[in-house]
Amino acid sequence: MMTSSGHLATKNTTNTAIKIDKLNKWYGDHHVLKDVSLDISEGEIMVVCGPSGSGKSTLIRSLNHLEDYQEGVVSVFGQPLSRDRQSHKIIHQTMGMVFQNFNLFPHLTVLQNCTLGLTWLRKMSERDADKMAMRLLDRVGIAQLATRYPGQLSGGQQQRVAISRSLAMEPKIMLFDEPTSALDPEMVKEVLDVMIDLAKTGMTMVCVTHEMQFAKQVADRVVFMADGEIIEVGPPEQVLVNPQWDRTKEFLQHVL
Amino acid sequence: MDDLNVKNPPTLKQFVPTPPRPPRQSKSGIFGTIRQRCFNSIGNSVLTLCVIAVLFYLVKHVLDWAVFNAVFIADNRRQCMDISPDGACWAGVISWFNGLIYGRFPVDEQWRVNVGVLLGLVWLLPLMSKRIPLRNVILLSWIGLYPFVGAYLFLGGRFGAELGWVHGVMTCLALAFLTIIYANWILSVWDKKGLNELFVPLVSRFVERRIHLLSFVAAWLLIALVMAFALNQVSLEPVAIERWGGLFLTFIIASFAITMAIPIGVVLALGRRSKLPVIHWLSMTVIELVRSVPLITVLFMAVTLLPIFLPADVEFNKLAQVLVAVCIFAGAYMAENIRGGLQAIPKGQYEAAATLGLGYLHTMALIILPQALRMMIPNIMTSFISLLKDTTLVSIIGLFDIMLMARNIANDKDWVGMHTEPLVMISVLFFLFCYSMSQYSLTLEKRLKVDR
Repeated sequence: MMTSSGHLATKNTTNTAIKIDKLNKWYGDHHVLKDVSLDISEGEIMVVCGPSGSGKSTLIRSLNHLEDYQEGVVSVFGQPLSRDRQSHKIIHQTMGMVFQNFNLFPHLTVLQNCTLGLTWLRKMSERDADKMAMRLLDRVGIAQLATRYPGQLSGGQQQRVAISRSLAMEPKIMLFDEPTSALDPEMVKEVLDVMIDLAKTGMTMVCVTHEMQFAKQVADRVVFMADGEIIEVGPPEQVLVNPQWDRTKEFLQHVL
Repeated sequence: MDDLNVKNPPTLKQFVPTPPRPPRQSKSGIFGTIRQRCFNSIGNSVLTLCVIAVLFYLVKHVLDWAVFNAVFIADNRRQCMDISPDGACWAGVISWFNGLIYGRFPVDEQWRVNVGVLLGLVWLLPLMSKRIPLRNVILLSWIGLYPFVGAYLFLGGRFGAELGWVHGVMTCLALAFLTIIYANWILSVWDKKGLNELFVPLVSRFVERRIHLLSFVAAWLLIALVMAFALNQVSLEPVAIERWGGLFLTFIIASFAITMAIPIGVVLALGRRSKLPVIHWLSMTVIELVRSVPLITVLFMAVTLLPIFLPADVEFNKLAQVLVAVCIFAGAYMAENIRGGLQAIPKGQYEAAATLGLGYLHTMALIILPQALRMMIPNIMTSFISLLKDTTLVSIIGLFDIMLMARNIANDKDWVGMHTEPLVMISVLFFLFCYSMSQYSLTLEKRLKVDR
């Protein structure tokens, strides 16, 4: 269960949280993921970047079965996932996800968004669920907005609600699918700050993002993808500052 | 974007917003507006005058017929004609008014209809108040329990005898539930604990979990028992279903169809979107078959065909057959409305629910349907309104609803040939109901707007 890569995570962890083994996916004839293999250790912050259409969103959405894949195995904490009930249970108990478009439930208040899973799935009492959700909302700095509806919040606030909604289910791994891409520039920072705070708590995180500054600051490893393949994996100073491949250099020139 | 902490360079000029200008004042009053809009040119002035003349002519004729030349007190149509030959004869409608509302329900027992309808409305009243918790439960209890109380009052008979003891038990439970709702509502105004909370100390002696639910059940059963003893003392005159009629029957059919349309529609809509082929094709067949046939055909089929499919010893009365037919018809239309709402829900909502770990039923009941139904309130209300109007078709298969009662007036020997006035009367009644429904839908839409 050791990480197979030579470029080891900076944190001293031995457990593999997610092991992706030769993942292949086609949309019709279009080969979207080509033999993608990757190990993510527990507590590691992994940033996935690459040009649009490179399959990074598809990859992260394959991890919690929002997308089907035709070949390959994803294992979570040593458990290979399939399409059965047991695997779904593992996914929901270990992984939370934050989307590009927030996907908050517009007919529920901020607080109800966060307590929904607790009261209906965990069978937690309403009072305990409220308490826990308020703690999380306080942590992301929007406890005072608990009674508002998502439509009354700014994009940055909505994304922070979405993060606390995921955290309420106490996941071990957080998946971020371009969490700041739909935000106005002045709101990007408030969401990134929350993510940086989260990273400091030792949460395992997989982030698809274009925020290179964030990657340099907190990522343990950066994955660069293009055309459905992983081109480079390594610590940020290696991939982002000193890229080995032309594709990476070209991309970084566009982004930075 | 490459630095997260961008500092404002101090050399930049301070931005000073331009102060807002006051809005332009309109100086002309109501006369000014009329002059500006209707008499701003010779052509427009002529048009305005023409329209006023036509309107005056129409309104005058209508008022002459309906009010000024109308007869309100007369014994029969001949007298009406003698008093005023070219006015409405409202006397006939007035003398038949009772029949229009209650059909052929015995006059002495009509208070039961009033009480029954009133109870139904009273049951729904708490839904208006925001103080009441668990309003969905009240709505569900209305759907599940009120019909028993209604049927008991409308059909009558000795308690538990004619309608069977199951019906009697349900009636008691229903009345007990209503009592608890109101007692708790009144108690909550004074910030007192609800009736069900009285049993908490007792119940907590015996069980450790679900104390509140069980104490509620205890209170409920106790009150139901009291109700049963009380109801045992009274005996209502039995009234045959055939004697139900008028607006009362219209209301029964319409409210039954309206309440059943949503659950049937939801099931059919979800079934049509199901990935399981049997369920998909079954729902699709029902929806398409029912939608491609006029309601009148469905009604005839229910009355003539349904008995053929049922075993010989099962005998439905005509009303039950009609109710089944109208419910399926309404449900199929509702299913398409709801499907429209389901399609408008973005895929992200399903994904967000899935990542939280919600299963199919939870996702639908908590996330998707609440949004889909709210989004479709205008369409759903339109369906309800047309349903209310469509129920008049049951007069064709011989149920004495308000339409058939109105046409019956023309057959009364005292009021032979009086067709217009009853129909005008019905139109006014239906307009009142339908218009208030559409107004209610507007307020509902505002109150339940999904994206606040």
